[in-house]
Amino acid sequence: MRALKYFFAEAGASLWHGRRAAALAILTVTVGLFLLGFFLLVNANVDRLVAQWAQAAEMSVYLTDDASAEQRAAVEATLAASPLVRSFEYVSKVDALARFQHDFKDLAGLTNELGENPLPAAFEVRLRSSAGDQAGIDALAASLSKAPGVADVRYDRQWLNRLLLAVALLRGVSLVIITIVGIAAALTVANVVRLAAYARLDEIEIMHLVGSPAAFIRGPFVVEGVLQGGIGALGALLLLWAGYAVATARYGTMLADAIGLDGLAFFSPMMMLLLVVGGMAVGCVGGLVAARGVR
Amino acid sequence: MIEAYHLSKVYSRGVYALRDLSLTVEKGEFVFLTGPSGAGKSTFLRLMLRQELPSEGQLMVSGRNLSDLRPREVQSYRRSVGFVFQDFKLIPRKTVFENVAFVPRVLGAPEASQRRKAFQVLKWVGLQHRMTALPLDLSGGEQQRIAIARALVNDPMLVLADEPTGNLDPDLSLEIMNLFREINARGTTVVVATHDRELIRQVGRRALTLDQGQIVETS
Repeated sequence: MRALKYFFAEAGASLWHGRRAAALAILTVTVGLFLLGFFLLVNANVDRLVAQWAQAAEMSVYLTDDASAEQRAAVEATLAASPLVRSFEYVSKVDALARFQHDFKDLAGLTNELGENPLPAAFEVRLRSSAGDQAGIDALAASLSKAPGVADVRYDRQWLNRLLLAVALLRGVSLVIITIVGIAAALTVANVVRLAAYARLDEIEIMHLVGSPAAFIRGPFVVEGVLQGGIGALGALLLLWAGYAVATARYGTMLADAIGLDGLAFFSPMMMLLLVVGGMAVGCVGGLVAARGVR
Repeated sequence: MIEAYHLSKVYSRGVYALRDLSLTVEKGEFVFLTGPSGAGKSTFLRLMLRQELPSEGQLMVSGRNLSDLRPREVQSYRRSVGFVFQDFKLIPRKTVFENVAFVPRVLGAPEASQRRKAFQVLKWVGLQHRMTALPLDLSGGEQQRIAIARALVNDPMLVLADEPTGNLDPDLSLEIMNLFREINARGTTVVVATHDRELIRQVGRRALTLDQGQIVETS
């Protein structure tokens, strides 16, 4: 306990003494953790969006205009028999036109100018959202597309999968960026703490000569790194929260209308704690690197 | 208490700082190491502080071979040794009191004990009234007394001093030497390196004269 008190007192005094250099290190940690937090927030919200869209994943089976009642019944029977299909609904050409005119009022006149209904009749299919039946869904789509009377099969989950792939790619890239920024932050902390150590070489020499334990000599430098990391992480959280508040206020409604995302989510208290602990860990690594050099 | 057997210290390019040096210092003794610059006085004290290791021979303190000490044992050994340097080695950012209390503090002593010990030794060297001053606000003699107080704060069994009066005038030098005599009178072994032969004469203790790393005279 005495040792900890000593470490914090010395680290605090050293931070204050070298506050300009320390501010640089703290800023680096803040930038690093802000990027990390930003990617995590985007990731969490994209995950929510993808989950929302996955729930609503649909397959559209468009019929040809000359599809017979038997052909339509055959498609219906195929859908009814498939265990992958949760529900389906037949939308006739007339219903499709009415829906189009309702949803796109500005374009409603266009269909009248054409003189005929360009929209095909279709089955709108809602699929079960379990992940393991991808191959089965592909087979169902392939089989339906070959069925007589079927013009086309559009399967929403295909682009959803592409989106998931893009998200995974984004996650990978962000992981690389975060790792680089994390290492840069740790090295900056290490250099700043090392500068602080140089400024106290006289003290360190005396500590060695009087037989001070190594922990007492190096401990303050490690704690100094931890403090820099912790303060940097708190700064990053503050910036993220401010950004989140602005984004929610300005773009929340727009996002809900455009992509159906029901409000943006911020970090849970546990996640915030982890971010601060992460910042302290980065600072601790920097402090340890610097402290190892203290002879 | 101190036994050196055929002690040599060779630096790069084969320069001998100490050459086949053997000596004994009894417990509670006050010994001067003297000789011209480069004679090996400071090298011997560095070996005594275990800042360096001998190239050859053995250096024993209280029956322990300093070359055999592991890092933790070095720390433990140094806690039993007080040191005083010519340039005082005080921390300019810390007050007189903080400089002295620094030693028990970095050894993990309780705060009350740090304060008590620091005050006691400052009183002993007669500078309790300058506790809040910074070292650079003090005279050379006062600074050296602070350094001596710091050396004593941990009740060492041995005090080593390297040219402790090198920066002081003769009157102050004798004053500092009187402090060392008092330390020795309390039973602490004292080894002082100095080239000031007049001071040695005035103090009147055993003096080992070194030249080119060897003892050339004992008086």
